Amino acid sequence: MDPVSTATVSPSGLLLAGSVAALAASLWLLLPKASDTVASRRLGFLLGAVALVGFAATGRSLGCVGEDAVFLTVAGIAVISGLATIVTRSPVYSAIWFAMTLAGVSGVLLVLGAQFLGVATIVVYAGAILVMFLFVLMLAQPSGMAPYDRVSNEPMLAAAAGAVLLGLLTLSIGRLSAAEPPACCRMPSRAQALAAAAAPADGAATKDDESTTLIAPAMAGGDTGDANEVAHLGAELFGRHLFAVEVAGVLLLVALVGAIAVVSRGEATETDHRREGR
Amino acid sequence: MNLLPSAATLAALVKIGLLVGGLMTAAAYLVLLERWIAAWVQDRRGPNRVGIPLTKIRLFGLGQPLADGLKIILKEDFTPSGVDRVLYNAAPLVILAASLAIFAAIPFGSVLPPLGIPGLPDPVPFLVAPGLDVGVLWVFALSSIAVYGVLLGGWASNNKYGFLGGLRSSAQLVAYEIPLGLGLLGVVLAAGSLRLDTIMNAQAETGVWYAFAQPLGFIVFMVASFAEAARLPFDLPEAEQELVGGYHTEYSGIKLLLFLVAEFLHMITAAFLIVILFLGGWHLWGVTGSSQEIGWIQALLRFGILSGKILGVIVFFMLVRWSWPRFRFDQLMNLAWKVMLPLGLVNLVTVAAVEEFRPQLVTALGPGFAGAVAIALPWIACLAGWLVAGVFTPSGTDNTPILTHDPLDIEREMAEHERLERAPHDVSPTLAGSR
Repeated sequence: MDPVSTATVSPSGLLLAGSVAALAASLWLLLPKASDTVASRRLGFLLGAVALVGFAATGRSLGCVGEDAVFLTVAGIAVISGLATIVTRSPVYSAIWFAMTLAGVSGVLLVLGAQFLGVATIVVYAGAILVMFLFVLMLAQPSGMAPYDRVSNEPMLAAAAGAVLLGLLTLSIGRLSAAEPPACCRMPSRAQALAAAAAPADGAATKDDESTTLIAPAMAGGDTGDANEVAHLGAELFGRHLFAVEVAGVLLLVALVGAIAVVSRGEATETDHRREGR
Repeated sequence: MNLLPSAATLAALVKIGLLVGGLMTAAAYLVLLERWIAAWVQDRRGPNRVGIPLTKIRLFGLGQPLADGLKIILKEDFTPSGVDRVLYNAAPLVILAASLAIFAAIPFGSVLPPLGIPGLPDPVPFLVAPGLDVGVLWVFALSSIAVYGVLLGGWASNNKYGFLGGLRSSAQLVAYEIPLGLGLLGVVLAAGSLRLDTIMNAQAETGVWYAFAQPLGFIVFMVASFAEAARLPFDLPEAEQELVGGYHTEYSGIKLLLFLVAEFLHMITAAFLIVILFLGGWHLWGVTGSSQEIGWIQALLRFGILSGKILGVIVFFMLVRWSWPRFRFDQLMNLAWKVMLPLGLVNLVTVAAVEEFRPQLVTALGPGFAGAVAIALPWIACLAGWLVAGVFTPSGTDNTPILTHDPLDIEREMAEHERLERAPHDVSPTLAGSR
């Protein structure tokens, strides 16, 4: 079920497989279901803690976890709040845990030296999008929600898929750092940090893409200076990726116009109708 | 591993201590100032009794903040039943922490002369986090985190007024962040940096404050920062006459104090930003000079000028509070989306065009005349934009009720309503009436 078992079985591979299994079981126990007991939730928390320790240990044995206490703290915040986001019952708490996740991710980016991305994550996601989420969630009071809205669909499948994906990612990133040992342990250069931040957005499931994006900027020379980081990012976005940026902008504009058209349909047509009738 | 903190860490800690202490004291005394100004505007005497404790010395009421602070700290910290305890307790902490952390990226002076301490950068900047390249964005990020305090406080206290206040606040802050950002972008374009100290230095070097070079951006930013600070024409989140206390209706004691201090910090932040971005920061023509190599007198002078300008802006905030009525919510939204957003875009495009063609202008016209043109163009854009906004969006701010029905229709509808009342099993009369 896991690629580790077909490859050479090493202790760290076994540990990784065990962590994946524990994480899947923990997620399944914790996800909101109709038949929840306190005992199953406690077991879920326990298994989740075991899985996190297992993942951390795997990362260490694969040579991936840096010694930096700040990094470990913010990464831990990101991961644990990410888990809490999906297992919390109350939608409002889910949103707040998600905000904590974003804060953790932004902390990771700041530790890596990608100041602009770190702060922009907070501005865009935590500051604007999540506030809108909270706004809507608070208006739609959760107490009045139907029972099928309060449980997760396909908890077993979701838990297994998520855990296996995480295992694969850990494995591939671990192999990557094993091939080039210092890339992950030492303080990465800014270019690498940028690439690492861009990688999840590209769809982290494709391992080949990820490895190239991780390595390519480092080979291009990681000497993007302090003063020019934002300028480099801007030049990259509006130079090489100009078309993608423009397409995304047009897409958002269309969505905006469409939303306004949908919202204003009811009343406007009624008054128009009346005016025409008179 | 060396456990002793380095000189740079110690310097940062000293700066944090000075800044937090100064800000808290400033917030306390600004409350007194606000009450004095309120009294002056309303032709009253205002607080003038409390002086030195246990004596009869009054000192114009300068002891008032101390007495107020003690009173509110010693009050019972009452938690109503039915609140969401975790969020109820977290909200004031979130808002205060975010409002204070903003100041990590805001310079509160120019630089100190070289101190000669090993491990310190030689001109010591008046800035807690001098290495942060994205100071402006940092301010934005943390002020948007502060929204969570308002929103969660309103929701968690399980009170309809608190909830409405929280919702209004989040809608308002999200809406006005956009014109705020557009006003800011013009300055960032002109200065070519996201660092607040670099922006101040750029104004000092040219001697042209961005308020003169980008008048439209200044106006948009000023209005939007009033809204972001939820000061009076925009204080709908806690409109006392409608919402009791808005999002902090259910708070008391020290938690209420945290909310109130955070609100004042928002105003101080807005004043800092207005001064730093548009009013030249520590620069004053013929007084401060513009170089980074300065003596002690110059350093203190610059600090004093920056503080004086900020105080001036804060007094302006307070005077506006007593001279302007509150907006209605639809007016608020109209102003943000139909007036401020287009004006901000006009400003941004003008500034971008001027900055793009500045080298060509300089070669064609010579530096002096080119500078004049570069200032004149934004002023023309400002006047034109203002005229267009004033002519074509009058309904955004006038107070006549928006008629969704024609007056003639109302009589017909009333007749219909009566007919339906006589036949109650047909349609519910309240539904028909409110259609």
